[in-house]
Amino acid sequence: MEFNLSENTTMVADTARRYLKDHYGFVTYNEQLNQASHCDPARWQLMMELGWLGLPFPESIGGYGGELIDVAMIVRELGAALCLDPYVDLVVAPGKMLEYIGTERAIVVLQSIVENDEKVACALYDCHAGYSVHKPTASIRDGKLSGQKSFVPDGGCANRVIATARIGDELALLLVPLESCEITRYRALDGSRYADLVFHDIEIDDGMILSRGAETSRVISQVIAWLQALDCARMYGAANALYQRTLEYAKTRKQFGAAIGSFQVIQHYLVDMFTDLQQLESMLFMVAVKAELGNAQERDRACSAAKAYYAEKAVKIAQQAIQIHGGIGVTEELDIGHYFRLMTHCSLTHGHRDFHIDRLASLREVNGCA
Amino acid sequence: MNLEFTQEELDFQKSIRAWMRENVPEELERVSALGNMPTKSQQQQWERSLGKQGWLALTWPEQYGGPGWTATQRYIFDIERAMAGAPPTSPFGVAMVGPVIYTFGSPEQKERWLPGITSGETLWCQGYSEPNAGSDLASLKTRAERKQDHYLVNGQKIWTTQAHWADMMFCLVRTDPEAKKQQGISFLLIDMKTPGIEIRPIYSIDGHHHLNEVYFTDVEVPLENLVGQEGMGWTIAKFLLTHERTTIAGVADSYYALARMKQAIEDVPYYTDKPSARRRMAELEVELMALEYTNFRTVAATDEGKPFGPESSGLKIKGTELQQKMSQAMVEMGGLMSLAWDSPSVVGNESFNNAPRRYNFLRACTIYGGSNEIQKNVLAKMLLGL
Repeated sequence: MEFNLSENTTMVADTARRYLKDHYGFVTYNEQLNQASHCDPARWQLMMELGWLGLPFPESIGGYGGELIDVAMIVRELGAALCLDPYVDLVVAPGKMLEYIGTERAIVVLQSIVENDEKVACALYDCHAGYSVHKPTASIRDGKLSGQKSFVPDGGCANRVIATARIGDELALLLVPLESCEITRYRALDGSRYADLVFHDIEIDDGMILSRGAETSRVISQVIAWLQALDCARMYGAANALYQRTLEYAKTRKQFGAAIGSFQVIQHYLVDMFTDLQQLESMLFMVAVKAELGNAQERDRACSAAKAYYAEKAVKIAQQAIQIHGGIGVTEELDIGHYFRLMTHCSLTHGHRDFHIDRLASLREVNGCA
Repeated sequence: MNLEFTQEELDFQKSIRAWMRENVPEELERVSALGNMPTKSQQQQWERSLGKQGWLALTWPEQYGGPGWTATQRYIFDIERAMAGAPPTSPFGVAMVGPVIYTFGSPEQKERWLPGITSGETLWCQGYSEPNAGSDLASLKTRAERKQDHYLVNGQKIWTTQAHWADMMFCLVRTDPEAKKQQGISFLLIDMKTPGIEIRPIYSIDGHHHLNEVYFTDVEVPLENLVGQEGMGWTIAKFLLTHERTTIAGVADSYYALARMKQAIEDVPYYTDKPSARRRMAELEVELMALEYTNFRTVAATDEGKPFGPESSGLKIKGTELQQKMSQAMVEMGGLMSLAWDSPSVVGNESFNNAPRRYNFLRACTIYGGSNEIQKNVLAKMLLGL
């Protein structure tokens, strides 16, 4: 066993950290929070130059052949910087979906994402189906798509969505232009831009059907596993940033004539945060490797364990960061409260704690030390 | 041991319930049902209607406008109020400055300020915390210098809830900079319209404006607005901390929150995981019941004229922890629905859409009014003798 990041992965992480330090701060974040589109053309161009748009995909189709752990290191830094650029939502999620579909037509769309020619989002959830991605309520009848999608993380700037729908008993993935949908846009808990879509009998031609049948479900599960691992990466970055800031605050904030970090209760809080952070990092390494596995059972077990653990411990770190900061921690003025919202947000995407604990309980084969 | 209300108390409950049904405005009920906060005019209109009944200053002696109820009746009232979807009354006038004035104030001060509190006309805010005096409140620096016919106030307060609504502030100021920390502090009533006061909003992470910074630049406060003697401020502040504990745990509003949670789960027909949500609610209900019965003991002791026993000491700590737990459970049960922060239309269920705001706001409840860490320090010292 070996837990060292490869030289290449370390370089990806260092570059990401440097890039964000130079190009993204709390001021940038606050400006972006109030913008309708979260795709900043200049930063998108820089991300492309850094190779991020091609990193998650194989070289055979024009990518750079990175692994999930490489992408996770980028997303960790995005979380640490509170960055709202929808890299995961508009590159990784639709790109992996198209890669796993793997048809000629899908690869053409993937290439246009990698080359920054268009923005595509994934529409996997609707407010009537909870986390059950395999049972969408949208459906195609007589060549027409009807139904709705909620919580579409399109950054306010996608032009097409990859949407799940049923065709009879079959699950399908469709490529739908956003202009053909009724759209309601809003801000999500973490500050990103979401859209709800209504399909009013949209004419679907065969070219719009990317995938259908048993294969579709497998593709979606593979992509969701990636996204669950990346949720953890983002939360880890945020949790580490919260820990660092809170430690610094405890050393400098004085009450009763002493730094509050000299009080035993604060010391214990910080030690708990620190030790939880170590375990969160272990879970991140674990899930970043296992979420790519072909063995669905082992993959899902890893993802559910990691997300359930993060939903409890990373959230707890964010709560303690506020408590130790006191009043200033609950204000919009300081980044602490913004990290807190990000943490709650990520604990609810792609399955909340109960969902994952239930899924773990239903995965029968326990794959322990034996 | 008797855990039941008497027949008189049950009749009282019936009459309060009937009154609430008639008098809680529908608009206000809706605000509460969705987990939102009332506006200033909604809040004040409600408090005025309680004031008209003589039901605002519930803990006060009758001579100052209290209804003369027992602690049990006040407890029943609080439950009926909360379950009818009415918000708690603002604590600053009724629960804080009022008792200070009738305990420490001059006859003129009582006559001048108490009627506005019992009628709900005068809105108050609390000027305690400062940027460098949070948990260490006694290190506050806002200075009140005694002049010929007024105090000259200079300094800054922070985290002042509803300063932008308030007519008056009760304020801890330093009148003697030479005296030792706690001893140079005085308790001053300040008209918020006095020249030299500037209020700046602080937005909190629920996206709303409750909190403020308040700056004082050469603010002239009449000498007669000093409550008690100079240097008595700290004694008065401590008096406030020990006053009335029968509703501090927030049991009534937590029961309401639990009822809303149940409603929301049942209202979502496609909610995929009702058994585990119900289980979680049952667990919360158990904790709430432990708090409730501890609270009952405090209520009963008050009615027997006994001092508060050790059982009352944890009410604020346990109560605030439970409020946070419940609001977190609501957010988690909402799942993806909790992510719709500012959607112009309902996404699935509106109570779940609003849940994170309340959850975010309630992170402050273990911080304000003396953080739970400070409460535990006090208990360790006073109660455990450590």
